[in-house]
Amino acid sequence: MRSYWARRVGSSVLILALVLVLNFVLFRMMPGDPVASIVDPKFSPEAKARLMEVYGLDKPMLTQFALYVKSSLSFDFGISFLTGRPVADELRSRVPNTVALLGSSLLLSALLGTWLGIQAARKRGGALERLVLWGGALSYSFPSFFFQLMLLMVFAAAIPIFPLRGSLSVPPPLGGAALFLDYVWHLALPVLSQVLLGFGGWALYVRNLMVKILGEDFILMARGRGLPERRVLRGHAFRMLLPPLLTILLLSLPGVVSGAVLTETVFSLHGVGRFLMEAVTGHDYPAAGASFFLLALLTVASTLASDLLYGVTDPRVRLERGRGR
Amino acid sequence: MTVKKLLSASILLTLLAALPASAAFDPGAYGVPKVKDLYLVILRDPDAQLLALEGGKIDMLSDLARPVDIAALSKNPAVDMSLASGFHAFFLGFNARTFPWSEAELRRAACQAIPRERIVRDLFSGYAEPLATYLPPVSPYFEPGVTTYAYDPAAAAKRLADAGWTKGGDGVLVSPDGRAVPPQKILSPTASVAPTTTEIAVRAAEALTSIGIPTTAEPMDFSTMLARLDKRNFGMYVMAWSMGKDPDSLYSFYSSKMDVPGGYNLSGVQDTALDDVLDRLKFAPDGTAAAAAASEAQKMLSDLVPAVPLYSRYSISAIRKGWKNVFTSERTTADNLWTLLAMEPESGPMRPLYLAQTDEPRALSPFTSTTAYDWQILGMIYDGLMASDPETLEDMPWLATSWSVSDEEGPEGMRTALAFTLREGVVWQDGRPFTSADAAATIEFLRKNEVPRYYDSVMHVEAIETPDDHTLKVTMKNRSFWHLHGIGGLPIFPKHVLETVKEWRTWLPAGEKSPDDQTLTGLVGTGPFVFREYRPGEYVRMTANETFWLGLGR
Repeated sequence: MRSYWARRVGSSVLILALVLVLNFVLFRMMPGDPVASIVDPKFSPEAKARLMEVYGLDKPMLTQFALYVKSSLSFDFGISFLTGRPVADELRSRVPNTVALLGSSLLLSALLGTWLGIQAARKRGGALERLVLWGGALSYSFPSFFFQLMLLMVFAAAIPIFPLRGSLSVPPPLGGAALFLDYVWHLALPVLSQVLLGFGGWALYVRNLMVKILGEDFILMARGRGLPERRVLRGHAFRMLLPPLLTILLLSLPGVVSGAVLTETVFSLHGVGRFLMEAVTGHDYPAAGASFFLLALLTVASTLASDLLYGVTDPRVRLERGRGR
Repeated sequence: MTVKKLLSASILLTLLAALPASAAFDPGAYGVPKVKDLYLVILRDPDAQLLALEGGKIDMLSDLARPVDIAALSKNPAVDMSLASGFHAFFLGFNARTFPWSEAELRRAACQAIPRERIVRDLFSGYAEPLATYLPPVSPYFEPGVTTYAYDPAAAAKRLADAGWTKGGDGVLVSPDGRAVPPQKILSPTASVAPTTTEIAVRAAEALTSIGIPTTAEPMDFSTMLARLDKRNFGMYVMAWSMGKDPDSLYSFYSSKMDVPGGYNLSGVQDTALDDVLDRLKFAPDGTAAAAAASEAQKMLSDLVPAVPLYSRYSISAIRKGWKNVFTSERTTADNLWTLLAMEPESGPMRPLYLAQTDEPRALSPFTSTTAYDWQILGMIYDGLMASDPETLEDMPWLATSWSVSDEEGPEGMRTALAFTLREGVVWQDGRPFTSADAAATIEFLRKNEVPRYYDSVMHVEAIETPDDHTLKVTMKNRSFWHLHGIGGLPIFPKHVLETVKEWRTWLPAGEKSPDDQTLTGLVGTGPFVFREYRPGEYVRMTANETFWLGLGR
């Protein structure tokens, strides 16, 4: 088992090393450079050359690569070309909002979708299943930007029960508890929109998987043994459902940090999504490199965790001790 | 003029009543800001901005661009609109280095073939003006007496026929020396990034195809497009520019010296006579010579047609009713410094003012910040030596009460000497007096560190002298009237703060505490508002500078 994990960790380190190299190479292979995006006739070619110097882009490529690896491995990440602030500070100020928004949305979508999916599978042909199938498809395929804008217009403008923007009132209320409640109030509408847009995928997936599981022989056997339906569902069917669900949940974690550009834009939230998009389109090498490196790190960690949990949750998967067994 | 155009477009636009009075603008009528608390609320989504203004969550919204928003707000009885001609200019550019755009007659014909008025009417509902010149009409250096090419495809065809161009069997133009025009592409950003720009490229392509130039639009990622332009790998492109008050953009765009990597002579125009005029513009000894050269350059450009001017967008802003003393002019919308100084509620006690900050501030450092979003804030903190009259755009005294520009003999020929007399009694927001030493330290700091944003303004500085606390003399290495605006337009920083800056590239003054006053940050200026707080993603808070020098003696 030890050698298995050594191999897995080793391959993960290799993947991260590859990501580091690709991050460096690919961003520099993209057409344009950070200075080319300055479209201002008052900026002379000499001033642009000076800016390249300031960004360190006049140095030999190998030197740039060495500096990039050093800053990535020390989690320093350098200064963002676009914002002029340390990339680490930028991410620190944005990650909490993004995690609060997308973490809670993911969790609530998963819980709601799973519950609805199971209920739909249990009562096949019923109204609930039809509702899940239609509602799930609608939720899964609805254009998020339009839907979120509609929510904003209805619940923040026409019936102003939610705030229009941001994660805090302007000026913010005084006191820790008041601040926390204000924060929750501000995130309520974005989270609600994400849940409404996200639960459908979960519900459809779980319903389909559950229908398949409930048709398996071991379920028939369990029922044949006279086990109560609740125990059949919880002790047998759900046990089969859990590993793929956990895998999806864990593999969704990097997405929780990478942000949701449209949601952040519509609700004027200070999140990672838009920062990441601007970093890529604006040739902000330090910011884009740091963000993708961290995402890769999180993806690798999530994959490892998912492998580990598979062993725990799925009785059919066990790593055997000893060699040659 | 602009109001009539809007009304003729049958759109109800309620302009602010305070259109320019005929009397000269008097800055002495202003003082310390009446508004004491100012919040710049960060709102990035245009729809959310609109909802916030309509719902009273913000008081003012600047730079409205979408016709549908302008039309909606124009009908809102709680909102006043203001409109001004701006320095925005949109061009269809050619690559004149290669056939067919190396042929001037073809460029002129193309200019005649494009229906500017219809494009502006269809795409902007009249909230832009068709452009036929290389400087927008609002520019003090605009030359009205140039050749323009009104939309007339028949005249375009005749022009080409007269010059010996024929059409092949496929309807494609053939040059007098027998070369058929190859298929052309117009580079543009994608519709998801700039929908109107993409549509303009499509319409221009249709217009050019109709006179025998087979053309298609080629939308692409904007960075890719810029890279193609930078490498001169294009036939045509469409792009908007912000031209600025001074006409030196003509030098950047059309001098052969700027046809270098990183230079903006994208068209590749190489004309020695034009170069000579543009040199005289760039290195004019005084304002009169500069104006004469700018006029001559515009006339030559209208003959050379290195690009097709298409339209200039109006600046449009909206402000909620209930505020008085709002200042507007033909050249300034309501969202200006003078409004911020004078506005107060029409009734009831003073209350905070909420403005829309339509993008996140960046470093909030006067050295590294390059975006308009940062300078919306920094511009209220720092003052320059000179300012622009909001009605005429002429130079106006600011931290300097007067100045002179003279020529003197230097080791490498004639050079410009600037002398500024500085205003007395001005104090920094931390209470220390403003003197010529601060102005000298600013110029020296920017020059020594070669700060890119100010590189072109300070790199020709030869010497700085401060004979007394209120006199600043700056000698330049060469001669150019524009040095006055380069130096006069610099934001001036306190010497005692500059001395604390260890590394300008990483200096984040908004997060530092002032040693003199713990309620202040490193952003200490002489301007009308004091920076207090920035909450990322939420807002920037500023307060009135009660020691603002315009209030001296009031």
